[in-house]
Amino acid sequence: MVVIGFLKIVVVAAISLVLGLLVSRYVLAHASPFDRVRLGAWRLEAHAGSMEADPFTRARVARTGEIPLAVGEGLQWIARTDDAGRPLNAGCTYAVGPKAPEARYWTISVVTPDGFPIVNPAGRYGFRSSELLRSSNGDFTIIVSATPQPGNWLPVDAPGGFKLALRLYDAPLGATPAAMDPTSAPRVDKISCR
Amino acid sequence: MKASFVGTLAIPVVATAILAALVQLVVVILVPVVAERDAFARLKPLGEPNVTVLLPRASPTERLAPYADPVLAVSFCRFDLAAGPIRITAPEGRAFASLSMHTQAGQPFYALTDRAATQGVIEAVLATPEDIRALEAQDNEEDPSHDLRVTAPDREGFVMFRVFSEEPSLYARAEEQAKHLSCKAEPIPR
Repeated sequence: MVVIGFLKIVVVAAISLVLGLLVSRYVLAHASPFDRVRLGAWRLEAHAGSMEADPFTRARVARTGEIPLAVGEGLQWIARTDDAGRPLNAGCTYAVGPKAPEARYWTISVVTPDGFPIVNPAGRYGFRSSELLRSSNGDFTIIVSATPQPGNWLPVDAPGGFKLALRLYDAPLGATPAAMDPTSAPRVDKISCR
Repeated sequence: MKASFVGTLAIPVVATAILAALVQLVVVILVPVVAERDAFARLKPLGEPNVTVLLPRASPTERLAPYADPVLAVSFCRFDLAAGPIRITAPEGRAFASLSMHTQAGQPFYALTDRAATQGVIEAVLATPEDIRALEAQDNEEDPSHDLRVTAPDREGFVMFRVFSEEPSLYARAEEQAKHLSCKAEPIPR
């Protein structure tokens, strides 16, 4: 009886350890679950750029070596899905636009799931607000696609999937991303798939 | 039968859930302490304290740190406040530029953009809490210092200077501006 009781404890401890480590691995690969702000398809860790970052953000930043933008400098929003919630897929073509939240400058870039620019022959990793082709009313459309497109073409050739990064520099509401107007987020719409 | 099933399984399942949550909590708290490849560990081999180092432009092959924007020209200097305060200066340019100060783990604790520049220079004095008090004690009431003083939570850390290039052709110019970050020791006269 004592042996069975002891075995039970060992099994419970082993399962707990494995489960705890698996959950840690998942949590540290994603934005902190307690500090997430949504804006359309985009997500942001509200306090990543300050000393008020929670332990999850701190652990992720220390582990990945990321150097976050301070809240006074800018905000980095990440989209892993389109507006319909489907994971971004390099086999599809997406339209991103037509508006972006107010900021002195912004960029929209394509990154690998771990946050690095994606190789492409054009050497084009993203667009700046200051270099885009726009329609007469200031609206824009960025086409994210593996095949060349007219206009603002952002090439993506990433078999493992990809993410979009929207970086706002000198945003007026820098300290309170939760107060941003959700309709000001660029839409991420799937146009077609190969 | 049902009661005994709940009785035999409920306790181990609840115990597993609680223990797993504890393991996860311990891991999250320990990671910043044991992380060997945090931002400071990546930057440290690139330069001595107070030396400005221009970082290579982020690209698929330059993978110094993730989530770096390739449109930014970036330089850094690391600091060690053991010998006293550091004066940080950086030039204003035609577009957005910003100074940010980070702890060893990479967390930013202060930032200044070019909007805070006076006469074309973004400037701050970084010091330990003790040195900030020493500086304040020496202040002349008739002729107060105009320095922006920033208290550093850690003795060691690093300063980033990010310069935005408005167009691809302006990147070289942004890099030129980034090179002019200066971090100078300014010991307190005693």
